[in-house]
Amino acid sequence: MAEDENAVVEPSEEVMSEVQLKFFTKQEKYAVPDTVFAVQGNLGVSGLNSLINEILKEASNVDEYKPVQFDFLVAGELLRTTITSFLESKGVSCENVIDVEYLESTPTPSPLDCILHDDWVSAIDFYNDWILTGSYDHSVHIWTRRGEHKLNIPGHGGPVKGVAWLYNDGSDAAFISVSTDQTAMLWEWKIESNSIECIHVCRGHERGLEAVTVSENKQQFATGGWDTLLKIWSADVNKERGGGDETGGDEGTTSKKRKKEYSSASSRTPLITLKGHKEAISAVQWIATDEILTSSWDHTLKLWDAELGGMKSEIVGNKSFFDVHYSPLSKLVITASADKQIRLYDPRIKDGAIVKSTFSSHKEWVQSVRWSPIDSQLFTSGSFDNSVKLWDLRSPKVPLFDMLGHEDKVMCVNWSDYRYILSGGQDNSVRIFKTKHQPKSGDGKKSTSQ
Amino acid sequence: MGPVSNVASGSKRKLIPTKPSGKDSKGSESNKDIKVDNNEEELQEELLANIINDSDTSDEEFNGSEYLDDSDEEDDDNDVDSNNVEDESEEDADNDNKSKSTSASPKTGKSQQKPSKSSVLRKSIGSEDISDIDTEEEDEFDEEEEDEEEEHSEDDSGLENDEESKSENDEENKSDSKESSKKEKTSKTEKQIEKNAKKLDNIKLDSLSKSKQKKLSKQKENKKEQTDEEDKTSTAKKSDTENEKGHGDNKSEKKVSKKESKGKKKYETIFPGNGEYQNETDTSDEEDIRNTVGNIPMNWYDDLPHLGYDWSGKKILKPEQSDQLDDFLSKMENPDFWRSVKDPQTGQNVRLSDADIKLIKNIRNNKYPDAEYNEYAPWVDWFSSEVMKMPLNRAPDHKRSFIPSKSEAALVSKFVYSLKMGRMKSTSWMRRHRKDLSKKRFFMLWPSDTDAEEMRRVHNHIPAPKRFLPGHAESYNPPGEYLFNEREIKEWEELKGQVWNRKLHFIPQKYNSLREVPAYKNYMKERFTRCLDLYMCPRARVMKVKIEAEDLLPKLPDPRDLQPFPTTLALEYLGHTNFVRCICVEPQGQFLASGSDDLTVKVWEIATGRCVRTIPAGGVVRSIAWCPNTALSLMAVAADRKLLIVNPRVGDILIQTKTDDLMSEPPEGVVLPDKVKAVVNWEVPEVELWDADGLRIVLNHFKELRQVTWHGRGDYFASVMPEGANRSVLIHQLSTRKSQIPFGKAKGLIQCVLFHPVRPLFFVATQMNIRIYDLVKQEIVKKLFTHSKWISSMSVHPGGDNLLVGTFDRKVLWFDLDLSVNPYKVLKLHGSAVRSVAYHKRYPLFATCSDDLSVIISHGMIYSDLLQNPLVVPLKLLRHHRMKKDYGVFDVAFHPSQPWVFSCGADNRILLYT
Repeated sequence: MAEDENAVVEPSEEVMSEVQLKFFTKQEKYAVPDTVFAVQGNLGVSGLNSLINEILKEASNVDEYKPVQFDFLVAGELLRTTITSFLESKGVSCENVIDVEYLESTPTPSPLDCILHDDWVSAIDFYNDWILTGSYDHSVHIWTRRGEHKLNIPGHGGPVKGVAWLYNDGSDAAFISVSTDQTAMLWEWKIESNSIECIHVCRGHERGLEAVTVSENKQQFATGGWDTLLKIWSADVNKERGGGDETGGDEGTTSKKRKKEYSSASSRTPLITLKGHKEAISAVQWIATDEILTSSWDHTLKLWDAELGGMKSEIVGNKSFFDVHYSPLSKLVITASADKQIRLYDPRIKDGAIVKSTFSSHKEWVQSVRWSPIDSQLFTSGSFDNSVKLWDLRSPKVPLFDMLGHEDKVMCVNWSDYRYILSGGQDNSVRIFKTKHQPKSGDGKKSTSQ
Repeated sequence: MGPVSNVASGSKRKLIPTKPSGKDSKGSESNKDIKVDNNEEELQEELLANIINDSDTSDEEFNGSEYLDDSDEEDDDNDVDSNNVEDESEEDADNDNKSKSTSASPKTGKSQQKPSKSSVLRKSIGSEDISDIDTEEEDEFDEEEEDEEEEHSEDDSGLENDEESKSENDEENKSDSKESSKKEKTSKTEKQIEKNAKKLDNIKLDSLSKSKQKKLSKQKENKKEQTDEEDKTSTAKKSDTENEKGHGDNKSEKKVSKKESKGKKKYETIFPGNGEYQNETDTSDEEDIRNTVGNIPMNWYDDLPHLGYDWSGKKILKPEQSDQLDDFLSKMENPDFWRSVKDPQTGQNVRLSDADIKLIKNIRNNKYPDAEYNEYAPWVDWFSSEVMKMPLNRAPDHKRSFIPSKSEAALVSKFVYSLKMGRMKSTSWMRRHRKDLSKKRFFMLWPSDTDAEEMRRVHNHIPAPKRFLPGHAESYNPPGEYLFNEREIKEWEELKGQVWNRKLHFIPQKYNSLREVPAYKNYMKERFTRCLDLYMCPRARVMKVKIEAEDLLPKLPDPRDLQPFPTTLALEYLGHTNFVRCICVEPQGQFLASGSDDLTVKVWEIATGRCVRTIPAGGVVRSIAWCPNTALSLMAVAADRKLLIVNPRVGDILIQTKTDDLMSEPPEGVVLPDKVKAVVNWEVPEVELWDADGLRIVLNHFKELRQVTWHGRGDYFASVMPEGANRSVLIHQLSTRKSQIPFGKAKGLIQCVLFHPVRPLFFVATQMNIRIYDLVKQEIVKKLFTHSKWISSMSVHPGGDNLLVGTFDRKVLWFDLDLSVNPYKVLKLHGSAVRSVAYHKRYPLFATCSDDLSVIISHGMIYSDLLQNPLVVPLKLLRHHRMKKDYGVFDVAFHPSQPWVFSCGADNRILLYT
């Protein structure tokens, strides 16, 4: 019968064609009866939303029904256009009954704050309401979540390219910063006294550092940089504390002076140096107890064994990688490379570099990508086109949200706390977006415990 | 007769030693019958018989007239015969006499021949009567022989003395003109006759030597043989006659048969060797036995009394000339007169032998002169198709008999080919064809409707559309509904202005009969228009050749297959406030240095676009070059007249400090020659500049610098001052802080120089040409011709074998140094002056930039296979710069490891394309 109708109304198909949809959901509270709906093909997300909401409203029988925003998954991809055009692009026939999964849509992140720096913000980390940023003014900054500047830590001799919290238990905290001055610094920060101390200066790299990552057990950290070497260092804070008497915290002292002081701080040599990349390492991430993932300009992603000190596997791309991030939830890797695309790799696939999907919406180089800590489908990216985008894996062409606000290139993003997406850029600012979505019953706890 | 007979008998004696010679008895005829196998005996007997016969004939000849009468009775018509017979009668007497007087030997031979001769004669004369004559043969055996002889003699006499014969023989005159013709024939045989006569004379003259005798005897033998042969044929007939008549004895028959067999044998033996002839040639010796004058015309002796000289040198006197009376007398008296011939050699009368006469006779009768020759001998078909056991010929088969003939093969192949090609038709085909032709054939009078019409001028002709057949409306008597009513007529009238809209081009009209139909007034016009249509509109199907523009382009690989190459603008490096003239990427690929007209050098972080350092250069920076030695953190900056060696202080800090250490300790005791000092002087900058700007060394040149370039090792660097004439190129050594002026002479306005990446070569580009010098040998290696007006820049491929040259006249030249001194490829891709060219260090890419604001990325693949020429494919046009003061893009540089390209331009920007 549907065929007959189609045949008859063919000329005005664009306007008139009807599609038979069957809705289902995995969220039981929004379940609707298992009936087939014939809807007009030119219906978009909003139309379907109103439809579902109508049904739910009728079903709930409660007057004060609050409409819910849904997203619709058709053939494994999020619906972003009208149904017919979407089906056409996917090559799915309109004549069959189409199963449409609907799910509560990702809530819109809202801009929360903007923290201004003196220079480009090239690194950012967030932990327990504390924002740690590295800047091109050779210093590391600590901010509260509210944007309150807690500390300016000059110490590096070059732009700070990477920062990472080691731990932060409310009173004591420690973090690592890496810089193009070829050093990584291990800092201890007493929050209450707001005193900062450089515990170790890790020397060993022969060129500027680019990235740092902390191991899961917080005992080690790894750094990579332009000397193509991946170095693993001990992150033990207490080990040689006695050696260094420097009790910093004085903001009055000049950076130069500080530098000298710190340079006299105990030096540390790398535990392991891993050689293998041919060009600069652009990002490192400790993805398991003994696994480190690195991305490099030599077009490869490498998986290293931190225990044994060797390369485990390699993914060869065809562009230089600028950033890589691994999601423990989905076990997938997203990369930012020297083009406008974000690529999704599966490191478990050994044979060659199989790009699972490509996300293209950015207009310039993508500099930084981060997975959502609680949702295996979501990730965010920062690009040189001044935008930060929130992506859903199921929507490769269109991002969920464009988070505008940066006035210059975005150099780093961070989503280590599910509530906040932070991004730093060449407009000397850190932008904080609040994401309203909640951890799902199972996943949330895991990620928050981190 | 005596001596001659003796000679003859002597010769015979060899064969028949026992028998006496000469004519003995008549009764010996009986012996003939008795004689048996023995050849010699036979011969002997024959001889005897002959003699007897001779004698017989002489007797009978006198009575010949009677016989002749008989013969006349038998065939009256034959004049010749009668003549002959009459002659016979006259000369019979002579014959008799001669038989006595002249030599016996020829006679002996002839006597045997009589029967055969007669038979032959008869045949020739009157073949019808042969049988009749044969019947008489037995009786008139001898007479016949005489007939023949007479015949001959008559001829001869006619020949010798015509007058005589004419006068004497009335009948002869009467006889015929045939004789004269015969005379001509016989003239040929005269010589022979003469010879014979000589022989006879010879015998007469008794000049005998043994050898000669032998020869003579041989001759005689031969003659005998001849006669034998004749016998053979004649006897056959004889036997026939004998059988018929039944007179013949058995014995005689036997003898004849034997003779026959013998004769045959002889013939066979004689035939191949031609012995007869040989013998005759032998007689040449005998010719001048008496007269030794030799073979000269004897008329030379006409006036002389003698004829010649004999063996002893004595003159042979001419015999007395007999007068007519003597002649007459002798004619009357001498029975042999008719057969006597005057021998010119001796002047003697010679009596012709019977054989000679017979010969003459034969010739006159158009017969074989040699009577023995059997013209009817059974034909032996030696070369028959039958294959014999033995070869006929001892000679081996010729090669061509067992090798297939080439000419035949060629002929056959020619035939086969022409059969194949249809030029030649097989007989079966021709038969069929003839059959077809014979059938009735029908032709299309008009070309068919469906087939295309063949036209001479128009190919692919489309036939003109056919006219519609007339319908009912055209009829002279159309049905009523076809006739126009008033409305239709009105419509018709209305459409007068637009005739083509009418349904019909005429008004149907009705006539009572076809007779009343008037002539169609438009007929001529319509025919004419139709003809016009046919020939003015040829309606040919035009074959249009479609050539796509793309087909004309050379086959180049798809750029997509040549990835990676920079395609899009990725980053801008902003900060300069004036033209950015030059850029250079750090060997590690992390930083980029740029020199600008704002008198600064900036160092940029490539990945972010951050300006890491700004170094005031104190002049317009025209060239900048990063030291290729990664152990040094240095770059050379050409700013106006100063060449600055700067530590950019980026990268490895350790190297930076080490470099500084190195720089702070200049080698001592360096003394530059004055010549160099005038051009350049090394200077250590002030401390402030040292600390703040990182200046380490300053080289003050005497002219404005245009270019600075490093040697691959990073120790030497060269600077170019185009205005420096012969000192425009300097080569400096960093470690020793020395400078050199490599060229003594100015070869032109030097534009740029380059060090070869691998070998100690030095490229020097003047305005037009590029010279390659060997720095070690200090000589010129090669000169490259650009065929352009002004070189702007050049770049050498990292492999060192290819050179890229940009010119201000918009060209980019690719030189393959192994190939030629002329450009391998000339690329005219840019619309304006090419400012800079650059090779990529790793990828097969090169980039060119121009004042037309474009940067063109090309694929330049160099194959390790020396036979394959480099592949040059323009890939991408990048046009992101902006025009400022007519300047476009100044410089282009590749990232050392990534497929990225940087360009800087007059719009103060540096762009990165990825």
